[in-house]
Amino acid sequence: MPDLKPFIVIGLALGGVYAMSGVGLVVLFRTTGVLNLAYGAVGALGSLVAFTMIDHGQNEWVAYGVAILLGGVLTLLYGWFLGPPLADRDPLVKASATLGFALILLGFMQWRWTADVRSLRLPTSDWQYTWDWLRINVTQAIGVVFPLVVTIGTVLFLKRSKLGAAMRALADDRENTALLGVPVRRVEASAWFVSGLLFGFSGLLLASLVSMEIAALTFSIPIAALAAALIGKVESIWVTFFAAFVIGIIQAELNAFRSLAEFRNMTPFVCAIIVLLWFGWRRQVEGREA
Amino acid sequence: MATVAAPAPDTSERIDTRLPSMISATTPLRLIVLAAMLAVLLFVIPWLLTAFWMQIMLQAVIYSAVTLGLGLLVGRVGMFSLCQIVFVATGAWVSLRLAQEWSLPFPVLLVLTGLITGAVGAVIGIPALRLSGLYLALITLMAAGALTLLLRVYKFPNGGSGFWGFDKGKPSGSAQLARPAIALGDLAYYRYCVIVVALLFVLVTWHIKGKPGRAWASIRQSQVTAVAAGVDTTLYKLWAFALSACITGVAGALLAAGPGGVTVNQFPVESSILLLAVVLMGGVYSIWGALVAAFLLRILPRLLEQQIGLSPEVLTMLFGVGVIQVLLTTPGGIIADLGRLVDGVRRRLRRSPIGPPAPVTGDDVLVGESS
Repeated sequence: MPDLKPFIVIGLALGGVYAMSGVGLVVLFRTTGVLNLAYGAVGALGSLVAFTMIDHGQNEWVAYGVAILLGGVLTLLYGWFLGPPLADRDPLVKASATLGFALILLGFMQWRWTADVRSLRLPTSDWQYTWDWLRINVTQAIGVVFPLVVTIGTVLFLKRSKLGAAMRALADDRENTALLGVPVRRVEASAWFVSGLLFGFSGLLLASLVSMEIAALTFSIPIAALAAALIGKVESIWVTFFAAFVIGIIQAELNAFRSLAEFRNMTPFVCAIIVLLWFGWRRQVEGREA
Repeated sequence: MATVAAPAPDTSERIDTRLPSMISATTPLRLIVLAAMLAVLLFVIPWLLTAFWMQIMLQAVIYSAVTLGLGLLVGRVGMFSLCQIVFVATGAWVSLRLAQEWSLPFPVLLVLTGLITGAVGAVIGIPALRLSGLYLALITLMAAGALTLLLRVYKFPNGGSGFWGFDKGKPSGSAQLARPAIALGDLAYYRYCVIVVALLFVLVTWHIKGKPGRAWASIRQSQVTAVAAGVDTTLYKLWAFALSACITGVAGALLAAGPGGVTVNQFPVESSILLLAVVLMGGVYSIWGALVAAFLLRILPRLLEQQIGLSPEVLTMLFGVGVIQVLLTTPGGIIADLGRLVDGVRRRLRRSPIGPPAPVTGDDVLVGESS
């Protein structure tokens, strides 16, 4: 049996980053009915902007702040201008429109930054700590702890705050919520903005932990967050959270098995396909029983 | 006692809720136009273009089969697939693997490749029978991701043994399929591809005009009504997915025998998204939208790059804008706009008074929005 311990930390960190995007996707979908498939592109653009700012001698913490804020602002702008005209459309059409947004951002990134090899190393990656076999840097620690804080915060926010209650009401019935006097556009804008901040933060961490290749950072790498959200039926924040960690850990642990290592990146896809097939099968069984 | 007669319904203002027809009735004039188009593609285009542009044209012809397959799914059945480019790769892989194992005539190879890729498509499409449109699109995206990674590991067959036919010890750059004996040269192969793709268009037209087309239209309009009318929705949805994958697989085999063959990096996941974008922009309610989509995907980027130095990345951005615009305002895509333009010109030429505006059908039931 190969030694699995060295890969636990990176698996947890990856899972945490997936969880953060996944929670953003779920909150946004529950509030607006939009599955934002441009979340990877938003995060990728933020990380590239941060890279350029640092390259031009700007303070790196300011650059990271700008990257996260850019994620929030871009997502908010999309939601503000295109959310209302698409509000009554099928979820598939809403999701397809976000693919259009992803293409706009992808084209811009490939045009502005080309395909040069670049890397973004957060300063927290240099702060290493070692206890016995456990070796962890602060970026990885942030990747593990911050999503947990975000998830607990989101759940409490949705349960306890007035805005959270409005978001939950919107998820149930948009028209009735509007009739009750809830400022629908403002509530939706909050969901767009907050989810965008999460996408921006995730993009920054993914760029540091995995790669800064533009197309991969836009679609392939962050797709694991979507897989986690799908496992949670784009509804349950906690299921999404745990699914993301399971995917991250399996993906990292497969590195320990020589024959399976090259298939490790298939983990999110395979997990999502199995779960979706299970949902389909359950639906059919329930349909028969009903 | 005076009675008030009920007002007669004003039929002129009745909203047409039917989906636009994907094909028009076959008339002698239309047949002549189609024959002329084919003749232009076969004889005039090769005479006009340089070797470089002929390669681009060949790609456009092959990709028009790919856009046709996706347009069929989206426009006819209302199902989105985000793994069509992976089906192209699957078709290329299957044809190369079959050719490595047996010495088959090229047409037989194409048919077998289509059938096997169609079967793969049907397997991926099975969830479509139980899940909603959004989940189907996502499951195809996940399948695309998984199959792309599988291809990156095993690559295209290079003479190795076993199921994958891949030998890690041998170079694994591009893989090329042997061309048919009657089309060894580039020009002859281009003409061969035009004829094969034309046959694929005929196959799709035959389906749409026949029973499957009527079943797809009813499913697309309302699945509940289709079931009530006795349509086997399971069978016909799976059929559509398999047919789309089959056509795309044949295109993959044609691509594998094209100049330069195929390489693994030619089929990234994002290409499927770009493909969906151009198909929506081209127009999904007309089979001719597939030609516009292939033009947008393969010819326009080169044309703009050569003529005005516009980078293909800028075009990707414009495609993104185009998708959003199509979803918001013009579900019929460019081909519908062209149709309206031609109608307008025709009316002006005849100097007839301008009639009522043509009903823009499908606005409220765009892709995937039927119940």
